[in-house]
Amino acid sequence: MSALPRLSTILLAAITTLVAVLLYSPLFVPIVSSFFTISHGDVDWSSPTVSTYVALVQNHDILAALRTTLIVGACTVVLSVVSGTLLALYYHGRRSGRSVLQFIIFLPFLMPPIISGLALLIFFREIHLERSLLTVIIGHTVFVLAIVYRTVLTRLQSMSRTLVEASYDLGATGWQTFWRIILPNLSSAMVGGAILAFALSFDETMITILVTGTQSTLPVRLWAMMRLGFSPDINALVALILMFTVLLCVLAARFLIPRQVATERT
Amino acid sequence: MSEAGSMQPAERRLSLLVTVLAFALPVLFVLVPLAIFLGYSFFSVDQGTIVYGLSLGNYVRFFTDPIFLPVFWNTIVLCVSVAIICILLAYPAAYFLTTLKGRWRYALLMLLLVPLLMSYVIKIYAIRSILGLNGFLNKALVAVGILQQPSTLFVFNMNAILLTLTLLLIPFAILPIFLSLERIPQVLLRASDDLGASGLQTFLRITLPLSLPGVASAASFVFVLAIGDFLTPQMVGGISGFTFGRILYSQFGTAYNWPFGAALSVALAVVVIAAILVGERFGRNRGTSI
Repeated sequence: MSALPRLSTILLAAITTLVAVLLYSPLFVPIVSSFFTISHGDVDWSSPTVSTYVALVQNHDILAALRTTLIVGACTVVLSVVSGTLLALYYHGRRSGRSVLQFIIFLPFLMPPIISGLALLIFFREIHLERSLLTVIIGHTVFVLAIVYRTVLTRLQSMSRTLVEASYDLGATGWQTFWRIILPNLSSAMVGGAILAFALSFDETMITILVTGTQSTLPVRLWAMMRLGFSPDINALVALILMFTVLLCVLAARFLIPRQVATERT
Repeated sequence: MSEAGSMQPAERRLSLLVTVLAFALPVLFVLVPLAIFLGYSFFSVDQGTIVYGLSLGNYVRFFTDPIFLPVFWNTIVLCVSVAIICILLAYPAAYFLTTLKGRWRYALLMLLLVPLLMSYVIKIYAIRSILGLNGFLNKALVAVGILQQPSTLFVFNMNAILLTLTLLLIPFAILPIFLSLERIPQVLLRASDDLGASGLQTFLRITLPLSLPGVASAASFVFVLAIGDFLTPQMVGGISGFTFGRILYSQFGTAYNWPFGAALSVALAVVVIAAILVGERFGRNRGTSI
């Protein structure tokens, strides 16, 4: 592709720049308005302020929603990592029934969230489970399970069988092999999966709207506030969340990528 | 682990528990809800209470009522348009990425994917403010002289939904196209060059056909995500921008007709499954492995 004519390279670069601008413009609106006041679509660049950040700390409504989101995220991570790892361990190296059950696990991730959410809504109603944080956590876990499962299974498949065989040859029991060999080898995939699960749970809106009770998570709270228009402190929160998610992304990349390179080398 | 030949009783009990869980979890929380959901589509509602008697009434209503099929069709057309625009923007960008070397290639790819992590709700809100009457888009178009005065053409209608969904979903098109372009063996391009093909010929005869699986995956991703979205139309669609997702959602809110909503979901699911299968069928890579 090195022989590309100059003109087409410039054209491609221009389109790529356009795409980047399109993708980033919605992100810049809240960040800019977290530091500057905007009235009638004009930014007042003359007076930067951090007052929105101060106001944010005093907004109990939003902070409560943020706390709820973190609780839901933490529970979702624990549940999805434990069950995703168990499922991956179970299905790994097993042929019968695996593809069918694997398909079932992937369904909530493939289906539009409105379908998964409504199915769960009706399910909770039929088993008389009141809509609450518990139903939100179940909804999130079902949604992110596929990702954790896939991440752990990929690591399991790239793990050399000789490690397990060596452990048995040296007289270790199945239990010892699991704790001393398999689990340590999976740990970074589990951490990576946990970060992905948390990031997905943190921003999940459509399923949550359908299965939530009175306590709402941050995206649902924001969604409810949006009809009236945002107060400026929301922009401060958005700017902080953006930084936080970028940090999470970098962390996830660190946990998921270097190990895979390392296993390829061995 | 099944290869443990001599299991102690405690281990055997654990292994049994894991087996039960491995089957029970997906079946209980995924399959059962979906089955009940499907069952609901055959029920009906009478004065605010659900009647548990089987009938095809909901499906008959969907196909005969003059409201639903046109909205359903318009929504499909809308989402196909979103997929096409996303691909037209994502393909050149993904292609440009593959012309870059080493670290730059992945740094730029990350840059184009990071916006995915940003809160969906906030992005919709920000895009609405960009498209609005006082928004940046109108200001820019007036400044360049394309528009005489700010227009309401871009917000609270179908155009707004189209533009917003496109902006939200472009990254989902970039990734699969990039991956399929990157998988094309360089030797093929060099061979084509050696045999005297021009850059354009190489692109049309080698690169484009070999990247079509990625385009198919991208189209199916974007389409599925767009058609299931009910937040975006609700937020930027106004009164005229009525999509199938909105109608479906309203059955569980204001209209309060869960069984009919379930039947509409089945219609949606059929289209989604078709889109996934088409994406899967044409998304397979053929002949790129050397």
